[in-house]
Amino acid sequence: MLRALAHRLGQAVATAIALATLCFAAIHALPGNLALQVAAARVGDERVTQEAADRVRREEGLDAPLALQYGRWMAGIARGELGRSLVSGRPVAEELAHHARFTIQLGAAGWLLSYVLALPLGLVAGFRPGGWLDRAAGGLAVALASLPSFLVGIGLVTVFALGLRILPPAGFRTGAHMVLPALTLALSLAAFSIPVVRDAVVEARAAFFLTYARMKGLGAAAAFLHHGARNAAIPVVTFAALQFTLVIDGFVVIETLFNYPGLGDLLVKSLVARDVPVIMGAGLLVGLAFALVNLAADLLCLWLDPRRRREAEP
Amino acid sequence: MRIAPPRGAAGLAAAIAALACLGPLVAPMDPLGQDLMRVMEPPGARHWLGTDHVGRDVLSRVLAGAPYSLGLALLSVGMSASTGTLLGLVAANSGAAGRAVVMRLADLVLAFPGLLLALLLSGLFGGGVLPMLAGLHLAMWPLYARMADATATSTLREGHVEAARLAGFPEWIILLRHVLPRVLRTLAPLAILGTGQAIMSIAALGFLGLGLRPPTPEWGAMISDLLPFLAEGVVQVAAPCAAIFATVLALSLAGRSLAGSSMPPRVR
Repeated sequence: MLRALAHRLGQAVATAIALATLCFAAIHALPGNLALQVAAARVGDERVTQEAADRVRREEGLDAPLALQYGRWMAGIARGELGRSLVSGRPVAEELAHHARFTIQLGAAGWLLSYVLALPLGLVAGFRPGGWLDRAAGGLAVALASLPSFLVGIGLVTVFALGLRILPPAGFRTGAHMVLPALTLALSLAAFSIPVVRDAVVEARAAFFLTYARMKGLGAAAAFLHHGARNAAIPVVTFAALQFTLVIDGFVVIETLFNYPGLGDLLVKSLVARDVPVIMGAGLLVGLAFALVNLAADLLCLWLDPRRRREAEP
Repeated sequence: MRIAPPRGAAGLAAAIAALACLGPLVAPMDPLGQDLMRVMEPPGARHWLGTDHVGRDVLSRVLAGAPYSLGLALLSVGMSASTGTLLGLVAANSGAAGRAVVMRLADLVLAFPGLLLALLLSGLFGGGVLPMLAGLHLAMWPLYARMADATATSTLREGHVEAARLAGFPEWIILLRHVLPRVLRTLAPLAILGTGQAIMSIAALGFLGLGLRPPTPEWGAMISDLLPFLAEGVVQVAAPCAAIFATVLALSLAGRSLAGSSMPPRVR
């Protein structure tokens, strides 16, 4: 358990350092005058002047030597100071907190919904490998996996918002606005979780202890429930964490598509505006969340699988 | 005994390569030629898939977009697989310290989930072809390096390698004749699946406005261009969507069948 913790912690720190250096390099390797760009982003392209750019340069400390700026940059991040948005002037932490709420809602809804779809489909497919349900679920998964999430989203918008007119196409005011983005995310995720659930079920059902449970007289369903389900859960849990990488691809694209004000939308908008402190903060938050989710999955697997616990302890 | 690649997969790969080369040549009209008198025309005899919001022929744009979406995907996967193979062979051949360096680098990259690294590089360095390729390359090589390292390490322990060594062949000949072919055979299905993934990533970056920029007829950028007009022209939006879907589906089926058929050949 300590090893898992140390590994994921190291991962998070390395990510932070790499990200910070990347952002710093990007600021200084970019062609063009950063101060001028920032000033333009603040007051608008037409009204920007040299004085405004100079003021920005002084305010943001962009006139110091490079090594000093790098030291300052890393020291600031080590202290947990994320600075202020170059565009809005608000503290980055505040911006992140505001947008993260929306992303967590969307991510949780999409992720749960994907298992509402994948668990029953994977179970029925895994109970009759090679049957028509298995082949149908497999085909569905391959087709969904070949669709980038924004295509799924555009398809859903076309059918439900433009065709049937029962759901709003974009925005975030009411619960109904969540349905299409969450469903889009869920379908993109289900593409990968259906085969994982199915394979886990097939493998657990093929185990000797399950044959034994059937031999001593348990029915197929009872035997699986008591002896198979927990074993089948292990690969599924590991995968659910891995899937977090897909959630990230998903929410960046889906939030942009649906104009949903989450972290992904913030990240893309700051990338377009070159708002480096916000990019940096959002990247850090995502990297940290990724390490945490992986840690949670490591621990959950240790709890589910006593065999692994014995291996990890001595 | 030779292992022939499955015919279906080979055919698909050839068809896709042909599409990437011939797409722009068979495009009936200029993919950049605007005609403001004919915007958002529905499909008809003149424009088979209709026209977009500035009157460009959608069919021509989809065809002309093939070398961007497909070509760049192939290029980025080729680059990543080459880097990965090279670093994997280095790792397998240079003892514990060398392997540790390569694998820690790979770990570092893999700590960035999904598209994030490509997104950051592409976005921070201002979009366009080069930052995007660099980002995809950086994000994808660790997968190939890990696979190449694992395959090379196990191959280097095998009897025929030992025999070659005893016969006095230098190490680089052994790597070239015995290890590299095995590594490439393991990486091939991964690379085909990876090309599909790369197409989706390129399209996603284009869609976000962080990859190739309009008016380049890249499929993802086309979709984001046309999206505001979805209500007026479903066909026009559906065309590049279908192109992405068909290509990625073909690649993933080919990758799966190749992965299924290329079990490591046993002793001949």
